[in-house]
Amino acid sequence: MILFLSGLAIILISAVAVLVIRDEVIRDRFFATFVVAGSALASIPAFRILGGAASEITRWHSGMPGGDWVIGIDPLSAVFLLAVLVVGAANAVYGVAYMRVGSDARLSRQASATYAALVTVLALVVTAQSVVLFLCAWELMAISSFLLVMTNHQETQVRRAGFIYIVATHTGTLLLFVMFAIWSNGAADWSFASLAANRPALMWGGGPLFLLALAGFGMKAGFVPLHFWLPPAHAASPSHVSAVMSGILIKMGIYGMLRVVMLAGPPPAWWGWTVLALGALSAVLGVLWALAQHDIKRLLAYHSVENIGIIMIGMGLGTLGTAYGHPMLAILGYGAAVLHTVNHALFKALLFMSAGAVYRMTGTRNIEEMGGLARRMPVTFAAFLIGSVAIIGVPPLNGFVSEWLVYQGLFRAGYSSDAARIALLAAPVLALAGGLALACFAKAAGVMFLGNPRSDKPLAAREVGAAMLVPQLALAAACVAIGLLPMLVVGPFLFIGATIAGEQRSQALEAWSYVSPAAQNVALFAVVLLLVAAAIWAGRRFVLNRRSVRGDATWGCGYGATTPRMQYTASSFAAPLLAVFEPLTGVQEHRGATVFHSTGRDLVLDRIVSPLWARIQRSALRLRPIQDGRLHFYLLYVVASVVICLAYLVIAP
Amino acid sequence: MNFTTPAVIAFLVVLLLAPAVAGVATRTKSLLTGRKGAPTLQLYFDLWKLVQRGAVFSETTTWIFRFAPVLVVATILLAATVVPLDGRLSLIKFSGDAVAFAYALGLGRFFLVLAALDTGSSFEGMGASREVTFASLVEVGLFLSFGTLVVVTHEISLSGMLGAPFALHWTANAAALVMIGACLFALLLAECARVPVDDPATHLELTMVHEVMVLDHSGPDLALILYGSALKLAVLGAMIISVLIPRANLSPAASIAVLMLGLIVVGIGVGIVESIMARLRLPKVPLYLAGASSLALFSLILVLWNPA
Repeated sequence: MILFLSGLAIILISAVAVLVIRDEVIRDRFFATFVVAGSALASIPAFRILGGAASEITRWHSGMPGGDWVIGIDPLSAVFLLAVLVVGAANAVYGVAYMRVGSDARLSRQASATYAALVTVLALVVTAQSVVLFLCAWELMAISSFLLVMTNHQETQVRRAGFIYIVATHTGTLLLFVMFAIWSNGAADWSFASLAANRPALMWGGGPLFLLALAGFGMKAGFVPLHFWLPPAHAASPSHVSAVMSGILIKMGIYGMLRVVMLAGPPPAWWGWTVLALGALSAVLGVLWALAQHDIKRLLAYHSVENIGIIMIGMGLGTLGTAYGHPMLAILGYGAAVLHTVNHALFKALLFMSAGAVYRMTGTRNIEEMGGLARRMPVTFAAFLIGSVAIIGVPPLNGFVSEWLVYQGLFRAGYSSDAARIALLAAPVLALAGGLALACFAKAAGVMFLGNPRSDKPLAAREVGAAMLVPQLALAAACVAIGLLPMLVVGPFLFIGATIAGEQRSQALEAWSYVSPAAQNVALFAVVLLLVAAAIWAGRRFVLNRRSVRGDATWGCGYGATTPRMQYTASSFAAPLLAVFEPLTGVQEHRGATVFHSTGRDLVLDRIVSPLWARIQRSALRLRPIQDGRLHFYLLYVVASVVICLAYLVIAP
Repeated sequence: MNFTTPAVIAFLVVLLLAPAVAGVATRTKSLLTGRKGAPTLQLYFDLWKLVQRGAVFSETTTWIFRFAPVLVVATILLAATVVPLDGRLSLIKFSGDAVAFAYALGLGRFFLVLAALDTGSSFEGMGASREVTFASLVEVGLFLSFGTLVVVTHEISLSGMLGAPFALHWTANAAALVMIGACLFALLLAECARVPVDDPATHLELTMVHEVMVLDHSGPDLALILYGSALKLAVLGAMIISVLIPRANLSPAASIAVLMLGLIVVGIGVGIVESIMARLRLPKVPLYLAGASSLALFSLILVLWNPA
């Protein structure tokens, strides 16, 4: 615990330091070093606990209303903490270099300080074990991330995105207040342990509590239809902030849901069905909407919606496993959900970093204006490609390992003898999402990096510096390592799954003895795949070295005067798939004699949230007269409220 | 890894016979349409010829273009290692290898599509776009089929689903399994770029799907792609054979004989479909694939609501 807290202290020191140190180079070095060092220090207890050490817990008598402050690291906290620290540290290094460019340079100080604060409170969110501390950290997280989203607040788009974000996140927080208020009613104190003990007293078997938690935490996690704040906020933020938001901040919603499930005890089956259905919906709609986007950061943001869906399919499966009494299913489901959370944190942060590097070099986020960047930015391209292969969930990278684990759970559910077998129907949905994700990243990687430049913006692009490349390569290495060595990684995640499900360690061991040989074979499959590819590559080289090889123009099917403008665009590439799912995509096509392009709108934001918001604003206008700016009326209101409260106290028993 | 002799022999048989299966399809078509046609073994000659040729690379392309054909063949080979080609046991068997099978093919497709976009050609981009459109719909039918097999056999590996005790399930689930076989055959036609989804004999780039993606590949790279396509046809064909003809009770030699005969029958089947119908209009293809998927969905519902 002392290591954890001193790690956080070091990260906070860096926040103060950037505000004090004048010299730019020293400041950035100091900041990056301290955040990385602090993260390394704070991650030691997390590693220890994942390795099997006992959970740590500390209570302080803070003297504040709301009782003691409790900080604890259990396996669930530990794994989220690791994700926070790894992604947080990598993006700190990347972020200072990213912010050094152009007009952003003068904003880099406050951005760095807020960033360090955000990483600290994120670490606090996953370790807080009492309600008041948790909600404080939750609120600080919302505010610091809001400030980071608003970094470029001089742009209208950014202000709008920031506003939507702050309204959405506070709506979620409000629901969490209500949830914890209901839950702590009758509990001994406000610590999570007491909440867990208060479980039998919950109204209607905890149903309202579950729905409040689902909506409150779901607002942060961003499943459909609560995702509407996510794409604008991700697009508006500086790229390292997008990486942290998509990689770890939205995962706090997942953490919250898992924590509630863990504390609220054996859940009824309908909780699991709800989460599973929402997950399946988010997985497909998220990727479908991503396919319609040509702003790379919005595209990646919608993919977060998809991946939250995959995580929720795992969670729902875990809940069903507990509800129907299949410990193995529960462990597999929760284990897969948490593993996919970590994997997504790694590859999504990586993709946002690569996209940010491209944005820095081309000055555009519109992939229709890119092209030909693979030659100009080969390392960034390799990093983006690794991220893409990971996110579409194919071997030999980490995305495959967690999706494979989700499928294990879904298929196992399929041959149980009770209603849990219906969960198998989520498997083809997940497969469809996988196929669509492949299409979407083929579009993104292909149109951004391959072919000829589609405008003059990519012409001057060159590779970014080491400070922006090394963090990308570090995360890419983590993706490769988990993909090639799943047998080392899956075990601890099954134990975390068992912790969430409230199963015994022996059950986790049984699940592990079932999964372990398969995990070894997954590794074998991945390694043999690479070896076979290497062997064929060598054979091809051997053959081609003896033949004449020359370069020429791309075959134009008989037409000699092709131009870069004739290349297939992202809009055209996505059009046939979007046509299949027509009414769900929200895509608008613009056709002309010589033009075709499409724009993807957010159906939930445009059709539901914005009209609703307009209506709220209109009705709020009617209340306007009571707030007319005259002080004596305000005093009257205060007096009247106090009198009413007093009257209530007298009348109430 | 299970290097049982029958498994290794079956694997090699599929590897070696793959180009002939495609040849049988072409031969059937030419016989049925009253033409003389190319020899059945033409693809072997083509491959041999291409390996001896040099190569021309578009100056737009990067390493992706050169690496994709390699990865396509590697992924199909790996996908073949988890299919119980001898009717009993695959070379690599693990719980969930069905997922690895589908997703390994996905990796190969991803790189092939990237290679098409790498050329900057609008024709190849068009083919790539169609390929990913149809492939993502194929996944649905494939996983519905896997789901049915899982429910029937209580196994999550392909060897478990299609291997030893599989014959027993035919008595109880014949209807579901026939529908799975039909669905998989329909998916095979789509996945291997055959009529009614794509026409391997077409000469107009605008109407192509798979072929147009690989316009720029030449020499040994084109050989790899052609061989990969043939191998995919053979592997998917072998999977259908395993579903329709459980071979666990046969002797290894008989089992491999059935495999070889079965592959010829698959080739003839593909050829017959190509002779009797034309390619569908592109907007109709998703409906075709949805139809195939609904066959598998019906079979899944059958076995889910009727746990035998």
